Amino acid sequence: MHDGPANDTAAPMPAEGEDAMSRISNISRRSFLQTSLLAGSAGGAALFGPWKHNRVYAAASDKPIRIGLTHDASGQFANSGQAERRGSEMAVAEFNEAGCVLGRKIETVWMDTETNPQTGTRVAERMITREDVHFLVGAVQSGTANAISQVAQKYGCIYFNTNSSSPTESGKNCHRVKFVWDGNGENFSKAAARNAIQSFGKNWFLIYNDYVWGQNTNAATKMVATNYGANVMEEVAIPVGTRDWSSVLLRIQQAKPDVVAAAVGGDDFKVMRQQVSDMKLDRKPAWINNQQDWPDIYGLGVDAAFGVFGTTWYHYLDLPGVADFVKRYQERYPTTRIDVPGNVTYNGYVATRELLRVVGEVGSTDNMKVIKALEGRVMKAEDRMQNHDAVIDADSHQIQQTIYLAQGNPKPRDESDYFEILSASDPESIRSEAGKECKLEAYADTPNYDQG
Amino acid sequence: MLLDLIPHLINGLALGLLFALLALGFMLIIGVMEVINLAHGSLFAIGAYVALAVMAPDGGLPYAFMEPYYALPAVARYLIALAVGPLVAGVVGMGLELCLRRTYGADPLYGLLLTFGAALVLEEAIRLVWGSSEYYLPIPSGISGGFIAGDLIYSTYRIYAAVFAAGMIGVLWLFLNKTPYGAVIKAGAHDSEMVRALGYNLTRLRLLVFGFGAALAGVAGIIMAPIWGIRPVVGVDAVIPAFVIIVLGGVGSFWGAVSAGIMVGLVVALTAAFLTDWSLLSMYLLLLAVVTFRARGLAGKSSVLEA
Repeated sequence: MHDGPANDTAAPMPAEGEDAMSRISNISRRSFLQTSLLAGSAGGAALFGPWKHNRVYAAASDKPIRIGLTHDASGQFANSGQAERRGSEMAVAEFNEAGCVLGRKIETVWMDTETNPQTGTRVAERMITREDVHFLVGAVQSGTANAISQVAQKYGCIYFNTNSSSPTESGKNCHRVKFVWDGNGENFSKAAARNAIQSFGKNWFLIYNDYVWGQNTNAATKMVATNYGANVMEEVAIPVGTRDWSSVLLRIQQAKPDVVAAAVGGDDFKVMRQQVSDMKLDRKPAWINNQQDWPDIYGLGVDAAFGVFGTTWYHYLDLPGVADFVKRYQERYPTTRIDVPGNVTYNGYVATRELLRVVGEVGSTDNMKVIKALEGRVMKAEDRMQNHDAVIDADSHQIQQTIYLAQGNPKPRDESDYFEILSASDPESIRSEAGKECKLEAYADTPNYDQG
Repeated sequence: MLLDLIPHLINGLALGLLFALLALGFMLIIGVMEVINLAHGSLFAIGAYVALAVMAPDGGLPYAFMEPYYALPAVARYLIALAVGPLVAGVVGMGLELCLRRTYGADPLYGLLLTFGAALVLEEAIRLVWGSSEYYLPIPSGISGGFIAGDLIYSTYRIYAAVFAAGMIGVLWLFLNKTPYGAVIKAGAHDSEMVRALGYNLTRLRLLVFGFGAALAGVAGIIMAPIWGIRPVVGVDAVIPAFVIIVLGGVGSFWGAVSAGIMVGLVVALTAAFLTDWSLLSMYLLLLAVVTFRARGLAGKSSVLEA
């Protein structure tokens, strides 16, 4: 779906009193051939030379900056995909209202990636080769994010993975063009594990969605928990799309663990939580839900927030800018069902905002300039509406940031106040080690990419 | 070890009864009409969504207009949902049967394609009305929560749902076997031309049977909604097991469908407990194993709807 017109380059108009046909007829055959030959040589050199540029040469510097939004609108993460889309589009709208970037309007092009890696690949290809986007933003499912980033790396197009949190995204699947904005599974596990062992006990039962995010987050949880002295009783892989959890819940009861650590996401998480709450199994054993995305819980009431879980942001954080951000969101989206923003929208917003800021700072959409400005970039806590400064790891492109540990709120101040924030972990104390497996492509091996 | 297995067998039996309920309407339509109704899952979804509208203040009906209604006790609204959901699904099903008439006597593929198209249309219609968010059907407090048996907690609702499903299976069997209407339906499944020759209005019979089968899908949707949740694609979650159960049980066999449903429930529950990553695959492996040795299914020999 287009949200604005494609880049239309105006053709030169004939001089007054001269029609187009007469101009064409004035061109001699020889000069036409010479011009064509020169143009062909130049084009060929540009396309096939050693520079590996992917560039639209007809570009004008005043043409809009186009951001390709790769947010899901269907599949397991449809809700979250649309929540992060609202964040991205809000940031874009605010920049346009404030006078654009480099004097250029910002346009978005959105396509549904369907929570599906194959669709993600297809959408990314189309965005880059046919929609001429400058940047790609968006993902919730790690498999889809990985697929998009492979295409982005092939062309050199900068890609912001906004909400997929498999440690592999900034680990073995890292790329020079990809930046990972959500906290990853290991961050969340580190934030929760030590507290949980001390408070609840050492016998842990691990369940996880059987795909890349679940597998890797579970592996990180297992590593962190065993490092802190946990005894992992069992690990159970749950197929994606599981609607009936009764058998697994019976098995957990039979095993009698102290802690159940769940890396289950999207619709699967929602249905699991419903069945756990319905059976009143949410108090004992203790549940550690790696991450609680706001769209997965909003509208279900505070009772649905069970166990202890991580998040990167909450709309009742007592920090500068938070209330104003919530107000601006509500003014912009007065009819959306999720009427207060959560972590997913927040990640979409701050990622897109930072991208546009950097473009403004470097004065260009050139991928190398933007990448170098992003690497190692420190973002102030008050600016990001978090407790601690965040930094973009230069070696893995993971945004190391504050992770909040939360649980269901026993004293909600209103019907949107689901979470009680228990702690705000400093990024250094929960730093992910996944980046050690990251081997970013060399700058020279990353194609230059600038749509002008 | 054996004692550990008992809760899972009970759970599997409960799940199996729910699967059987899911397949009953499908079985009825395929038995009498010889139509594989791929919109069965969408009719299931319609039952669930209509129940949501009837039960929940934010379920799709205009709250300001309906406010006095939502003041009714949850039990009363639930009973209304159990009546209205199947009724709406039944009416939609009858509309679908009207569309299907031109395909009777033609290549069965036309009916298959038409119901597949109808499933897509109904799913999109649901998306337009209710959006793509996931909902949960609120239920009366008397059938929610858990109860302790031994040292385990079981879901009260699951037991209620299994008993309800068993009751529905019994009522349907009595209807088909002990009433003159059931006799006509069974006769229609055996030899529709003979039924017509005996003076029965075959066109009306087909319309009513399709509506009845659709209403059964609606009932299953309401019963399964608190377990599976409600989302536009829930129909796909429903139609695939229903199809597997019908083929496994033997097309057109009442008790074949019931026993296949229970068998699928047991296999799914046991694999979900002990080989969890195989749980979604297990029903297909079961189908493969049975059909390999008995192509017509477990009870495919006995003719349609015979006891």
